[in-house]
Amino acid sequence: MSGVSELDQITRAAGGDRAAQAALVNRNMPIVFRVAYRMLQDRAEAEDVTQETFLRAWKALPDWQPKAKFSTWACTVALNLCRDRLRKKKPVLMDELPERVDTALKPEEALQSQQALQGIEDKIAALPERQREALSLCALEGMTNIEAAEAMDVSVRALESLLARARRSLRASLSAEQEGAMR
Amino acid sequence: MTPMPITTERVFELIETYGAEPGAWPEDERDAAAALLASEPETFAAALKAARALDALLMSESLPEPSSVLADAILSAAPAASRKRKGFLGHLGSLVFPQGARWPAGAALASLMMGLVGGYAYASTGAGYDQVEDAYYAAFGYDSNETWLSLE
Repeated sequence: MSGVSELDQITRAAGGDRAAQAALVNRNMPIVFRVAYRMLQDRAEAEDVTQETFLRAWKALPDWQPKAKFSTWACTVALNLCRDRLRKKKPVLMDELPERVDTALKPEEALQSQQALQGIEDKIAALPERQREALSLCALEGMTNIEAAEAMDVSVRALESLLARARRSLRASLSAEQEGAMR
Repeated sequence: MTPMPITTERVFELIETYGAEPGAWPEDERDAAAALLASEPETFAAALKAARALDALLMSESLPEPSSVLADAILSAAPAASRKRKGFLGHLGSLVFPQGARWPAGAALASLMMGLVGGYAYASTGAGYDQVEDAYYAAFGYDSNETWLSLE
């Protein structure tokens, strides 16, 4: 956004300027949606969270204090909404998980087939909630460590710990997959 | 966070935490860490290789796009521009017409104001009264009030 500060854009959006509102949505909606989707793994739910985040933003804009970037604020709201939804969800037991394996294949073949279908998205989705949040904000959305820590309401040190554990888990998962494929 | 002095251990931590790309490292440690990295490339080669492989996989992440109607739905709930009255007249208008201007009330007020202004302007000129008085006595055939009094 050349020549227009975010605060100026927010002020104009709060005053009903349609162009400023559209610019704010176009710039931040994809980030909020992706963060919500990684947490909830459901497009409709991620869209609901995105919409709710912006509804709250419209209410907050008239009294906006430029303490944080809009995207950081929006991700904080979205993460809180996601956590609420995840808490309300009934814990899924392992034997309730939907069967994704082709039963026509032998168990070993089926396992390899399943692994081949899995992308990095599934491995990220399998991470613990807080590790997923840290990875999503920092590694995938490019937030600085300070912004991501602020959005998650943790210290930078705690964020680094979550990030390092997330990356170690992903590497371990990938190594296990490669070893399985070589057998 | 207060920047820690850069050590070999800290560079390993940065690689393990933020990946192989120095651009993703904390700004306050980036230059010193990159300098140490450049001075001891063999030390960090294996860690960088592993981190680069994971970075590449993370970049390959594919997520669904939000539906095209989502942005419209969000924007339809955005605040509309408020109708603003500017300046003294705007405020005066709000006081006189708190429910907004209505044509009959506006016309009545305009008539009242014209009457008041016209009446004041006429009354404020002393000649107006004398002219009316002369016209009154002229109607009885006298030049003025003085002529009428002299006959009594």
